[in-house]
Amino acid sequence: MKSWAVFFIFLIWMGCSSSGSDADEPKNVAVVISTLNNPWFVVLAEAAAENAEALGYEAKIFDSQNNPATESDNFENLIASGFDAILFNPTDADGSIVNILKAKEAGVPVFCMDREVNADDAATSQILSDNYSGCVEIGIEFIKTVGTSGKYVELLGLVGDNNTWARSGGFHSVVDEFPGLEMVAQQSADFDRNRAMEVMETILQAQPDIDAVFCGNDAMAMGAFQALQGAGKSEAVKVFGFDGADDVIEKIEEGKIVATGMQYPKVMAETAAQYAHEYFNGRRTFPQRVPVEVEVVNASNVSDF
Amino acid sequence: MNRLYKNGMIILGVLFLGYHSVYFEKLSERDNAVDTSFDFQAFADSLYYNGITKSEHAVELSHLIKEVQNNTEQTFEDHGNRLGIGTSAFFMTQCEGPITEIEEDHLLIQVDSSLEVAINTRYIFGNALRDASQLVALTDFKTNADFNKVSESLNALIRQKVLPPIVENLAVGDVVDVMGAIKLSRKNLRDPSLIITPATINMR
Repeated sequence: MKSWAVFFIFLIWMGCSSSGSDADEPKNVAVVISTLNNPWFVVLAEAAAENAEALGYEAKIFDSQNNPATESDNFENLIASGFDAILFNPTDADGSIVNILKAKEAGVPVFCMDREVNADDAATSQILSDNYSGCVEIGIEFIKTVGTSGKYVELLGLVGDNNTWARSGGFHSVVDEFPGLEMVAQQSADFDRNRAMEVMETILQAQPDIDAVFCGNDAMAMGAFQALQGAGKSEAVKVFGFDGADDVIEKIEEGKIVATGMQYPKVMAETAAQYAHEYFNGRRTFPQRVPVEVEVVNASNVSDF
Repeated sequence: MNRLYKNGMIILGVLFLGYHSVYFEKLSERDNAVDTSFDFQAFADSLYYNGITKSEHAVELSHLIKEVQNNTEQTFEDHGNRLGIGTSAFFMTQCEGPITEIEEDHLLIQVDSSLEVAINTRYIFGNALRDASQLVALTDFKTNADFNKVSESLNALIRQKVLPPIVENLAVGDVVDVMGAIKLSRKNLRDPSLIITPATINMR
């Protein structure tokens, strides 16, 4: 009887000891990124993971390869694996909502980074670049540099991404007020450098006499610049980008690209990780959208960046 | 003849189905899903005439500059508005003085012997006035696209209706008072770029 009692107490102790070690285990944070093919998103992903780890959590990066189906698989896997929070860069403003809702239903908070989804009751919070304001300033820079008449091309990012339209909308809120400026082509190049080069080469065959190109990100600005260089037009055509990528900053210093909008992926990643940390510590009310300031970089201030 | 008629009908049928199975849409028309049922122009009119022009929270410019240089964080907190995260904020300010220069896109006003300010008369774009007014919250709108649409309507009102009749009649030497938005950045407070996006310009 006595030995049974000792054994019973031992079992209880083992149980307590086991649950105690669960509580001590660090929480797991998933970083789900639209694509790791673009260096900008690599910075976002790594910064999010590093910040989560610095706060004492285990972090794992998932690549959605710009494919909503892959993103959906990632969510199902990480929810089943018991991740405690998701720092999320969506592939699609509408298509990604269902994934966020799945996580929400499973009690897993989702903090969107950089890309907005078209719902204000799905994600716990969305930390986003103020793309619109940044591109308003790029639009003003465009008028001051190109003038109020001429022909230009716009290269759009992914059609399903809100950032694409926020940037385009900010830019057009300015340039469309100057009827002498004619947009002779507007095409998507999916935020991709090689695709932008191909699209620009094709456009140049039909529209050889353009004055400027506005690109929805810096990868496309570099691709467009390469195409213009290949056609011997890089001196004559003014290129504008958005992101603040190192290679474009160098081109601005060299006077080869006019301007870009400097985004702060590390700030977005840090804020998302910090919000997850606060969520784990009991905070439940977060601002739904947190815009992060974008600064225009041009020849006059490039030395500051 | 019957066969010709039959083949003709088949071709017409295929063309009809083909035409209606796809449709083309300009990328530029595939804008953000802005709620078209909301009357942004009416909202902007009300914001301007019932809100901004009646607001009394504009800070006198020379006082604002002095305060922001001496007591930066408190001044940003008391008078500035930054939505989200950033080093700059928008402030509603006012100033008065003679016009010293008139250019295509701005006026210069001598506020006092050491303070000259540019009044932007062409590039009335972006969120400066909406945010400096502190009268509209991000949470009032479901998406950023809708929130930005408020600025577009407000800017259009000022750019197209409010400013032209005043600016067309201004001359160097006229004394004006101006109320509008100014962006100040913590990065550059010693020698800030002083450009006001005007909400009102009045001749004294």
